[in-house]
Amino acid sequence: MIRLLLSLLFGGVTALLLAFLQSTTPSYAILTGPIETAGLQKDTVSSRTFSVKVAKVLRTKTIAFAPYGKSIERQTEGVWLIVSVELQSNYDTMTIQAAAIEGASGRLYRQSHRADGAPRLMPSKDLQPGLPTTGIFIFELPEGETSDMTLVLSRQPSPQLDSEIRVKLDGASVETRDRVEIGANGV
Amino acid sequence: MNQSAISKANKALYTRIIAGLGGLLAGALSLGLSIYETRTGTEVAQVKPGKPVDAGQWMVTLNSSGIATETPDGRRVPDGKKALTLDLTLENMTAESSNLYRDALKLENVANPPVPQFYLVRDSDLLWDLQPMMPEKVKVVWQLPATQALPKALSVVIVGTTYKPKDNLYAAPGWFNPSDVARISLPLSVSQGAGP
Repeated sequence: MIRLLLSLLFGGVTALLLAFLQSTTPSYAILTGPIETAGLQKDTVSSRTFSVKVAKVLRTKTIAFAPYGKSIERQTEGVWLIVSVELQSNYDTMTIQAAAIEGASGRLYRQSHRADGAPRLMPSKDLQPGLPTTGIFIFELPEGETSDMTLVLSRQPSPQLDSEIRVKLDGASVETRDRVEIGANGV
Repeated sequence: MNQSAISKANKALYTRIIAGLGGLLAGALSLGLSIYETRTGTEVAQVKPGKPVDAGQWMVTLNSSGIATETPDGRRVPDGKKALTLDLTLENMTAESSNLYRDALKLENVANPPVPQFYLVRDSDLLWDLQPMMPEKVKVVWQLPATQALPKALSVVIVGTTYKPKDNLYAAPGWFNPSDVARISLPLSVSQGAGP
């Protein structure tokens, strides 16, 4: 009788313990997720593989550029955000393909393909180790999201066990213009 | 000795019969359940054009459809083809930029529709990502053989997905289980934008 009770008790305790372990184990997606480094706009933020310094953030309603000699103008219902950065790779030649702005609501706004073909876009540049490279990222997002923004950069979208840098953008330093002409010499 | 062998054989047979019965029962139960689900499945709602439909990932508003000889980016449709166009408003309801709108629309009464091309009306150019909370006017184009007969009213089904905070494999959030959420009948205006 005692033995039966003991085994039942033991079974119950084991079940509880296992349930506890299972519920507190981080998920596969988290275990193999990005390796994050967070920082502020005024600092150079470095991860193991690359580092970033945000130089300037521009807000505008209209952007214009001339991809093949013919000028294109792009309007938006929200705002265009142009972030100019200086990136540096630490070890190997790499490109930064994934950039996004996390807005005030926590939604993720990836680089806009509507600005494809604009000069100086960062994803089109190779980062050589030791050589700082400047360029821009262009985002399109609703006006309400611009009150609190974080720039999220990584080599690939949804990196797994790879560096991801999160730079909190300083709202006070954002420059607003009516129209931005993106030329080869910067914005 | 003999006696115990017989009883052993009996026992094995007994086990097999029980296992077989269990299997049959499970099969019957699953069949019954699926029949029940099909019988009591809800009809896909018929929605009027111009009314927004919540399809999980997308808020879809179908506005009109037509036949054109030019694609929205100003290119002529190749000879022997015609362009079936659909005007809609798409809003990304998810938490990040996405281009997974291709599976949200299904043509029901057009035979063998090809993979459609999506255009952003604002730019008269191809559509890539749609940003969250930024609805855009979009034109969808199916290039069909010029000889293909088309119905008077296009029947379009909107396919919706449901959000799962943790999927079963990676425990990562995502959108799953596509299912028809609305059916819309759009009158096909042949004159619109079509040349001779």
